[in-house]
Amino acid sequence: MRRAELADTLLQLVGGVEAPPGSGLVVTEALLEIPLEVGSAVRGSELVFLGAPPHTRFRAGVLPPVHHSRLRIGPAEEGSDG
Amino acid sequence: MTADGGGFAVEEFINAITAQLDRVQDALRLKAVNRPLTYALKELSLELKVFVEMDGEGNVRMRPGGPNESGTSEVHLSFTTITKPMIEENTISLTAARSAPLDELGLTTQERRRLEHMGVRNIAQLDRLGASTGVTTVSRLSAVPVDRLRQMLSAGRPRLSGIRPQSPKPAAPPTPPVVKVPPGTRRLQLKGAHLVGDSGPPTVRLNKKALALSEADDDVLVVEMPEPACGGHLEVGLPDGQVVAYELSVDDGAREGPGHDLWAPDGGGE
Repeated sequence: MRRAELADTLLQLVGGVEAPPGSGLVVTEALLEIPLEVGSAVRGSELVFLGAPPHTRFRAGVLPPVHHSRLRIGPAEEGSDG
Repeated sequence: MTADGGGFAVEEFINAITAQLDRVQDALRLKAVNRPLTYALKELSLELKVFVEMDGEGNVRMRPGGPNESGTSEVHLSFTTITKPMIEENTISLTAARSAPLDELGLTTQERRRLEHMGVRNIAQLDRLGASTGVTTVSRLSAVPVDRLRQMLSAGRPRLSGIRPQSPKPAAPPTPPVVKVPPGTRRLQLKGAHLVGDSGPPTVRLNKKALALSEADDDVLVVEMPEPACGGHLEVGLPDGQVVAYELSVDDGAREGPGHDLWAPDGGGE
């Protein structure tokens, strides 16, 4: 199985904080603390970081190590770099 | 890229994560074009389990821990968004980085690395450090002999190697091509490629008077002609600074001979 790049996983996490349409709610900030299986691969001559939530919560010797990550997500501001 | 143990230089390691974060921010910025409210990743902290090792040349390298590997170290990396002024404050200017690198001075790898540890990566930086602290101090701290440093500074000094006359420019500019348009033309359509750059669409001037753009795409521009339509010198200033000139002629004959009309509609004239 091809593992997702870290950017793809982060994009999905950021996209996931939106309130359901029609709920009338607005998320002003979200703080996510999630485990990620982070690894690296060399594609072409570039180092690429891979990252995805763990396959399973059961421990097995062949699974990649789980890394703790913390994301702070907020509304994008007009004209900001972030 | 990788050392014997398969590790990566810390710089590459950080750059690879930053490249992933840049991709996230770019994608979110694109999403913001069509959505009233979008989110940005403000901060990211990662606690990475890595093996930290040193290669034979004294470079620190890191390698993410693999499955079933124990004894990893934990590296806490925190990324946050910063603004352009903050980047400019905390990095050397591009003009300062343009000076010739130390590699051109024939230094050994060890000597180059010792100077790099002192923040010297090019000749201009070595010159500036030498001027402020003295060459002897630089020599003592970097363990590069004084004579060798003086030789490097001398080799890196600006110098002229010759003077010759520059071939003169052509006396007269080439005659601009003539474009004929029929009287009553309200708009001109200019076709091309990569017409819209970072600085915006091209500027179109007729007899030094700017013409209004009614459409600007990457491959086509539509400009409004003055009322009544008049001929004259037409200049198109492209985004890269290049100026293309035409001689615009309002000519009744342009209706009948579309074969020579550069901007005639596809499939024949009116």
